[in-house]
Amino acid sequence: MDVTIIIDSLPSLLKATLMTILLAAISIIIALVIGFFAAIARILKVRILHGIATAYVSIIRGTPLLVQIFVIYYGLPQIGISLDPISSGVVALSLNAGAYLSESFRASILAVDNGQMEASLSMGMTYSQALRRIILPQSLRIAIPTLSNTFIVLIKDTSLVSVITVTELLQMSSLIIAKTFEPLTIYLLAAAIYWMLITFFTTILDKLEVRTSKYLVR
Amino acid sequence: MSIIQVNNLRKSFGTNEVLKGIDLTIAKSEVVVIMGPSGSGKSTLLRCLNFLEEPTEGVIRIGEFQVVTGGKANRKRKTEIRELRKRTGFVFQSFNLFPHKTAIENVMEGPIIIHGTKLEEARILAKALLTKVGLGDRCDYYPAQLSGGQQQRVAIARSLALNPMVMLYDEPTSALDPELVKEVLQVIKDLAREGMTMIIVTHEMSFAKEVADRVIFMDKGVIVEQGTSEEIFLKPKEERTRQFLSIVE
Repeated sequence: MDVTIIIDSLPSLLKATLMTILLAAISIIIALVIGFFAAIARILKVRILHGIATAYVSIIRGTPLLVQIFVIYYGLPQIGISLDPISSGVVALSLNAGAYLSESFRASILAVDNGQMEASLSMGMTYSQALRRIILPQSLRIAIPTLSNTFIVLIKDTSLVSVITVTELLQMSSLIIAKTFEPLTIYLLAAAIYWMLITFFTTILDKLEVRTSKYLVR
Repeated sequence: MSIIQVNNLRKSFGTNEVLKGIDLTIAKSEVVVIMGPSGSGKSTLLRCLNFLEEPTEGVIRIGEFQVVTGGKANRKRKTEIRELRKRTGFVFQSFNLFPHKTAIENVMEGPIIIHGTKLEEARILAKALLTKVGLGDRCDYYPAQLSGGQQQRVAIARSLALNPMVMLYDEPTSALDPELVKEVLQVIKDLAREGMTMIIVTHEMSFAKEVADRVIFMDKGVIVEQGTSEEIFLKPKEERTRQFLSIVE
């Protein structure tokens, strides 16, 4: 193992890490929005939306992410929808995480005691006021541990986008290995960077969980 | 004029008819205690008055406000039900305080959201109500930091904050340790003395004797008999009432 190889390849790897972060960050935000509305549509049983949301969750969770990426990047151009690699990656990742998040949200909303909704309604609140002010703040706290799981998986899944030529961390590692023939060093380096990224995000979410739970102290 | 008028109230869950045509008139400042064995429909009756259960049939009037049951769940009807709820305070057996809000925030929530009261005004009102139920020094505590009796008193203050025409209590002390029951009943007694109209579902006999202007005995979805607490407890006319009292006492 040669230290100079690490030093030489680090700038490229870190630059590619930015692409990984970018993919993950944009996808997480879109996934949160998709997941939230899919969960609400299923809970409120809005007639048509409920069916769409249920089908969406079932299809996404029932097929491999790699297949979804291929369908979006290689398949869609056949019907005239051509997305560049990065957009394809973002679409696939956010649709995928959105499905899992919607299940987390749904479970966490249903986990709030029914008495909370009754108390809100009995005061004369509308259903949406009760949801917004009373139910959702409580379900967020319940959701955080499972959210953090989905976030971790999403950050790791960005590596799958390397197969459609997005130069993120894993793709860059492979490119460097092609020149240096040092697979062990470079892949371990990539692994270390993933680990640091994920540790960073989970620490933030753990802090958030503690902060949103402060009212539970006795 | 009566403040609550219920005509032919019926409620079925599937094929099981829980309320079989209840007629009830309650005067202003009257304190009514409803008793009866479990499954008699007393809690369901109370919940129907607040539309936490949608009655199958009947008419409910509270104050000037009347809702005919069994209508379509359209926007107009939802507004009607909400208006009715604003006029009634409901106190639950399990308190149902909002755990992510402090005691004072729990009490402020209604005025702010329902009445559009300004934050500072709501705070003054909430502080006064918490003081009234003996919790002026617990304003900034979260429900998890309060005892059951204290939580139930906060819940009463929260209902009072909307200035209801009538207070409904669904077994308010059944979830409490025996030594905490008294402090909650004392608050209800104080309200009775101030002339608040109240309907209370409870098993607390001595409390009923003390505050009730009228005791209603229910069984199997009907009102079996009603009268002053003396009439019901000392000289019950119906066999079913006698049976129930002999078990409870």
